[in-house]
Amino acid sequence: MSPASSAEPRAQAPAGTPAENPAQSARGGAGWAGPSPAVHTIELSKRYRRTVALAGLSMTVRRGEVFGFLGPNGAGKTTAVKLLLGLARPTGGEAMVLGAPAGDRETRRRIGYLPELFRYQSWLTAREVLDLHGHLLGVPKARRQAAASDVLVMVGLAGRGDDRVGTFSKGMQQRLGLGAALMGEPALVVLDEPTSALDPVGRHDVREIIRELRSRGTTVFLNTHLLQEAEQVCDRVSIISKGRCVATGTLAELRGQTSSVRLRVTGLPDGWWRAPQAHGRWTAEGEWLLVRDLAAGQVPDVVAAVVARGGRVEAVVPQQQSLEGRFLELLEDQ
Amino acid sequence: MRPIWIIAVLTMREALRRKLVAALAVLCLAMIGLSAWGFDRLSHTSRLTSGEIGGAVPQAFIMFMFMFSFVIALSASAIASLSVSTEIDSGVLQAVVTRPVRRSDVLLGKWLGLVAVLGGYTALVTGLQVAVVFWVSGFVPPNPVAAAAFLFAEGVALLTLVLLLSTRLSALAAGVIGVALFGMAWLAGIVGTLGQAFKIPAMHTVAVVSEYLLPTDGLWHGAIYALEPSTYLALGSDDQNPGDAFFAASAPGASYLIWAVIWFALILTLGTLSFSRREL
Repeated sequence: MSPASSAEPRAQAPAGTPAENPAQSARGGAGWAGPSPAVHTIELSKRYRRTVALAGLSMTVRRGEVFGFLGPNGAGKTTAVKLLLGLARPTGGEAMVLGAPAGDRETRRRIGYLPELFRYQSWLTAREVLDLHGHLLGVPKARRQAAASDVLVMVGLAGRGDDRVGTFSKGMQQRLGLGAALMGEPALVVLDEPTSALDPVGRHDVREIIRELRSRGTTVFLNTHLLQEAEQVCDRVSIISKGRCVATGTLAELRGQTSSVRLRVTGLPDGWWRAPQAHGRWTAEGEWLLVRDLAAGQVPDVVAAVVARGGRVEAVVPQQQSLEGRFLELLEDQ
Repeated sequence: MRPIWIIAVLTMREALRRKLVAALAVLCLAMIGLSAWGFDRLSHTSRLTSGEIGGAVPQAFIMFMFMFSFVIALSASAIASLSVSTEIDSGVLQAVVTRPVRRSDVLLGKWLGLVAVLGGYTALVTGLQVAVVFWVSGFVPPNPVAAAAFLFAEGVALLTLVLLLSTRLSALAAGVIGVALFGMAWLAGIVGTLGQAFKIPAMHTVAVVSEYLLPTDGLWHGAIYALEPSTYLALGSDDQNPGDAFFAASAPGASYLIWAVIWFALILTLGTLSFSRREL
């Protein structure tokens, strides 16, 4: 029986210049300065008949960083993850993972994956599940046993290793899934909503594990819709909406691209601010005015504009924008 | 160990852990116990002559083995339908196929594991049934090993087909379609037997086509032939027993057996291609 691996879902390798092509770098060519990115996609698309799940996703995840992949439900996050892991085939665009085309079988040896729908063989014990994953990764038996014990401790299941998975709560199964993703010391760990079934203690533990992975130099691709989670652990984030990346950067960059200010103004007729303004977007909040989307250094210009119209500025309160605020703004713009 | 063997061993362990093997063994022992009582009564009744008993025991034996073939086929259909589509729906397979394994290895490993379970069950059932009938009646079929092999091949045929279906359909749909096709193939065999007896070529053609499309009934006829003693063959020739669904005048030919092997390879290849191309 001939193997059919060539037919398995797999993304095309990017066909750009060497400088754009991580594959060439990974094969020893002159391309990226340094190692190829952990993940690199160019206009990655996925269409299910009439439904567009991913509409040209371009992003780069650097090696060793914790990368947050944020977006509302239905934005295409899980679809993107499936394309990166070879579970589905793209209908357009290109994707490279650890320097090889997405879905490459040998590269999967260096990837750990916690699926959003995490289920493991209920009739195996937790230790046996980890052993199975180690076995499929080609880890020798003696090392598998030690690795399984280490992982059980790491994910907080040290006392439950010999219990059947069928007796586990959802949270414990998610911990086990995280453990399975960590077997074989992966270079890239893809976590799809890793805390969806966990209590606050479990969420804290997962954040600690992610920080531990970062300290070891492991790249973590964190797919989540929990912004607070991303704020606490991610080095950079990408926000996607309707299958497209709408912003990428560090948290500071995302928050700082624009700023807002609240003003209390007297001496001007009601609704004066609805007239066209030179800077920002103006809205009323009771006695206060909120001016958003201001570029750096524009707050004095806003105050000057009010004074020039004859208004008295009673108070000026710069706004520290949260990731959530920025996230909502970006989605509104879409 | 190669991934294909890891998955095969895992599949066998699952059958043992989930008590599938135990359930089948209990069912098998209950049926064989019942058959022991029945054959004992049949062999020692005073209402029949020894000649009549000599004809009735093989016939009853074949009917009992037909029941086992039905159980084997149903079991094959059930375990095959559950092993792929249920694991896709639950998400268990997503965690496995993202490891450095070929999807074809995953499917072939599952197939090998299930085939091993089915083989063990068929050997146990046939061996025990032959031993029990010999013990109570003294009858031994002429070729019990060949009969077991044909029964096994029949079960594997349905298992392979349902495994292919379950790469695309739900467990329920794959299992129901598999059992329905098995029933239709058996019925087509009876239609063919009647067609041959009453000289209606079209009916015979239906059976021939059906045997090539799904070789379960053709293989079952191989099992029947292997269980028929020469005296029974002489008594029950096609001319004397037109339309007897539990009689085979000849064994399947070499060309048919070669086709069966090709059929297995074809369906298994389609299954691996289908699973490899499936988006999860």
